[in-house]
Amino acid sequence: MTLNILGIAALFLLVFIGLMLYFTRQAIFGNTPILRQIQAYETLKGLTSRAIEAGRGLHLSVGLGSITNATTADTLAGLSVLSYLAKQAAATGAPPTVSMADPTTMLMAQHLIRSSYGDAADGLEQAYQNVRWVASQPAAYAAGVMNIIEISQPEANVLVGNFGDEYLLMGEAAARQGSSHIGGTSIPNTLPFVYASAGQTLLGEEIYAAGAYLQKRPAHLGSLVAQDTMRSVIAWGIGLGVLIATLS
Amino acid sequence: MIVARGLGRLVTTAIAVGAGIVILAHVFATQTEGELFGIIGLKQTITAAGTYLVRLTIIIGAFALLLGFVNVVTVHWTQIRSKNPASVYSIVLLVSLLLSLVFGLGGPATGGTQFIFNFILQPLEATFFALLALFIASAAFRAFRVRSFESILFVAFAGVVLLGQVPISIYLWPELPVIKDWILNVPTLAGVRGILLGVALGTIATGLRIISGMDRPYTD
Repeated sequence: MTLNILGIAALFLLVFIGLMLYFTRQAIFGNTPILRQIQAYETLKGLTSRAIEAGRGLHLSVGLGSITNATTADTLAGLSVLSYLAKQAAATGAPPTVSMADPTTMLMAQHLIRSSYGDAADGLEQAYQNVRWVASQPAAYAAGVMNIIEISQPEANVLVGNFGDEYLLMGEAAARQGSSHIGGTSIPNTLPFVYASAGQTLLGEEIYAAGAYLQKRPAHLGSLVAQDTMRSVIAWGIGLGVLIATLS
Repeated sequence: MIVARGLGRLVTTAIAVGAGIVILAHVFATQTEGELFGIIGLKQTITAAGTYLVRLTIIIGAFALLLGFVNVVTVHWTQIRSKNPASVYSIVLLVSLLLSLVFGLGGPATGGTQFIFNFILQPLEATFFALLALFIASAAFRAFRVRSFESILFVAFAGVVLLGQVPISIYLWPELPVIKDWILNVPTLAGVRGILLGVALGTIATGLRIISGMDRPYTD
């Protein structure tokens, strides 16, 4: 890789982080952006109360990803949803059952549930009882999640994270059960399965907006605006490049 | 207690930010020819530090696997003790886990381990994924319903692509495979590239939030 490309990459990152810091500061001082409605997040906000009314639990699965490789961003997106549900669980006493395929993700999930309970002793117990590492291999993971869905009969299933073809198996199990199903992933090959089986979907980058939509965190709101700005810059750049290439 | 918690947050944030910056610098350093900024030894130092941190994650992953093992045993033991009807699956799981552990102690090349992988695990995985064909049909039956403008487009495009894929389509309409190829190579590819661009920006934003310390999911 030549120095020019590295320099452009470094400049891109510096501009990006500068924009993120600027828009985060704006969000902290109350200048929050207007976000378009994403139905999946609207549904997520009412899930805990629905589960309590129905007397059933919730199930959240964060997928095959871990926090030690390229799938970290997708895993953190799923964990952002868990963070929101865990805070509601601490207030209402209805923690979700969380399943995952990677043990490092399990540690993060246990930490999020425990920390949402603060110093309460319940937190540790809930963290260990409701967080379930299933298996690392996709088929075994899908089988385990299907087992969780069919046995525990949750009010709703939320599958947000890094998934492959095994998503269809889990998605169909959730759909057959007749409960609400919210699905989201950033993997293009898996998106058709999500669209076909989930009632509400988070497609592509929408999964990274969980912190902004659910908890209105200034850092997440700021980075959303920064992403949109950089996307506009790239789109205009592509358009300009096409024009120059066509005319020359 | 509050002071200790605050100090703990500061230390964990400093470690996360420092490690993130080193790894990011490592990526740039390994791609650079010659010395970084003309400083002798800087590239080598950053590369060594980054490689060391990456190796640490492997060790952390191994310990996490041990904790995951404990988690599996704990959860399923609790299921067995609760004596609900589904606990029979937990018994099967724990027995299988124990047998795999016993056979696996000899290493991956032993007869027992090879038997488990070749004659139990692989056939089961293949069977499971073979179910995908049936599940796709089930999902398509539910998804191919005209409810909105989006679903009209979905059904129409899916129908054209499905028909265009089969060899007999050329007898139905000779242009069908051509239209199918255009759908896959132009609007679908454009959509996928748009999604990938958004995903790339989202991934970069997530990483930069952690590296800059703006987002701290690892602290209370």
